[in-house]
Amino acid sequence: MIQRYRASAGIMLAPAVTLIGIFILLPMLLTVWLSFQDWSTQTSFSSASFIGLDNFREIFGPTSVGRDFTGALTNTAIYTALSVALILPLSVAFGLMVYQHDVAGGTALRTVLFSTYMVPMIAVALVWSKLYSPSEGPLNQMLGLIGVGPQPFLSSPRSALISIVFLNVWQQVGYFTVLAIAGLTQIPGSLYEAAKLDGANRFEQFRFITLPLMRRTLLFSAVIAIINAVQVFEPVALITQGGPVGSTNVLTYHIHRVGIERAQGGLGSAMAVMLMLSLIVVVCALFALANRKDQE
Amino acid sequence: MSAGSSSWLARRRASGRKALLATLILLAAVASAFPLVWMVLSSLKTPAESMQVPPVWIPHTPSIEAYEKVSGVVNVGRSMWNSLVIASITTAGVLVTSMMAGYAFAKYHFPGRSLLFSVLIATMFLPPIVTLIPLYRLVGSIGLNASLAGIIVPNLANAFGIFLMRQFIAGVPDDLIDAARMDGASELLILFKIVAPSVAPAIAALALFAFVYHWNSYLWPLTVLQGNADAYPIVISLSRLLSYNRGAVNTGLVMAGATLAVLPPLILFVFLQRFFVDSIVGSAIKG
Repeated sequence: MIQRYRASAGIMLAPAVTLIGIFILLPMLLTVWLSFQDWSTQTSFSSASFIGLDNFREIFGPTSVGRDFTGALTNTAIYTALSVALILPLSVAFGLMVYQHDVAGGTALRTVLFSTYMVPMIAVALVWSKLYSPSEGPLNQMLGLIGVGPQPFLSSPRSALISIVFLNVWQQVGYFTVLAIAGLTQIPGSLYEAAKLDGANRFEQFRFITLPLMRRTLLFSAVIAIINAVQVFEPVALITQGGPVGSTNVLTYHIHRVGIERAQGGLGSAMAVMLMLSLIVVVCALFALANRKDQE
Repeated sequence: MSAGSSSWLARRRASGRKALLATLILLAAVASAFPLVWMVLSSLKTPAESMQVPPVWIPHTPSIEAYEKVSGVVNVGRSMWNSLVIASITTAGVLVTSMMAGYAFAKYHFPGRSLLFSVLIATMFLPPIVTLIPLYRLVGSIGLNASLAGIIVPNLANAFGIFLMRQFIAGVPDDLIDAARMDGASELLILFKIVAPSVAPAIAALALFAFVYHWNSYLWPLTVLQGNADAYPIVISLSRLLSYNRGAVNTGLVMAGATLAVLPPLILFVFLQRFFVDSIVGSAIKG
């Protein structure tokens, strides 16, 4: 009997395990291997030749390859930090607005917020590049109405990256709001009743009940937001092409350009390995921080 | 007397708070909806209306002229068909592989189960760019590049689907499965005839997620197609419209294209949002 189900398990798992093995796990190992090779993406894997840490030396070196990569790494770090710093508080604020019973319209707000998450990035790029247009864009027209002068948005190196962040926050905040609502529903209502009896005001209830009990949800949201943020590609590829003057050159875009368009597979793989390592370090640090807070 | 006035004050403050809350909800909804509403309104304007100063927000005589013009710039029919083929076949594949693997992880005991599950789940957190370069070469070496098959085949299984299915199939009673085994039903028959119907909402959610995700997917199709425009999905075809975004004269055209790309996923969402929301909540809480 047991033997029979072991065979069944094999059959049930074979399609998924084979596909994920060939198209995700194998390429991941190849990326690590290729990062130590001199290899052009246009040639077969067998033509790769081992060059030790040269790729890593080059991407952190003083040449233009190094400057472009470290620039992209910095841009991605800034982009990620800004995204998380905007998405988490907004998702909690929107979550509280949806998850209250005093005022109607909460569920409608959730629908509106979440619907933007379904919109393909090409449409987001087409619409926002127009909204951001310095001369005829609606955003500057509206700013004009309240007496604020025209903003350069995507056309200035000082504001281009943050403009891309806003566009992504607009698109994704609905997803994180749904996560925040899931966290809020987990908090027992009796805690708020008890706090009210003790004379806690709404701010104190939020500070001492809601926030601490949302920590696991916020940790999960932060991890997902970070992983999403390092993947940003379309708005950069479609609208800014990494510019002006490299200010929106983020890692996913840069790795695609180096490893696919310029076919420098070894260099691109070394960059991908660095991206993966940075991500692991950041996520581990986040968990360590959360665990230490838990113990306090 | 004093008790009466303090409750009057409390009610005053409560209604003030409600008004503030209602205002915030309205502001948030308007800000969130504005870009898409503006997109649809602009797509219905004539070029003359688009260029008017001060701007016209709502078109006086809605016109579908812009939608007709999109077909002159982008092969809309062909691209929509490609997107439909990519999203449908990928979704069907994801459903089958996820249900099978999810069933195995939920209902079988076999050596290495939790290790294998952890390894598969870890791939959920891997940004696709990390595997993109060798994957591109790998798919090329089996002769699938520049084709729809090249877009579809590597995506026929994913960790999120397996995770979601395992979570929900674990809740199906073992007795139900054992009874069917007594009747001599094969394991595949049990999965598709008995387990699947009892987790139908989760399957619907996964189908919607997969369909929308692969309808919207951009980076992999762009990479693997190598400029083969015949196989472009709509999200890549429409990138041609970006070059029409200078100046206001073609705003209607560009926004008509954007609206066409948004419609299929948004229609699915509007009708089936309950499944989306429930499964996100389910995967977050149970995870």
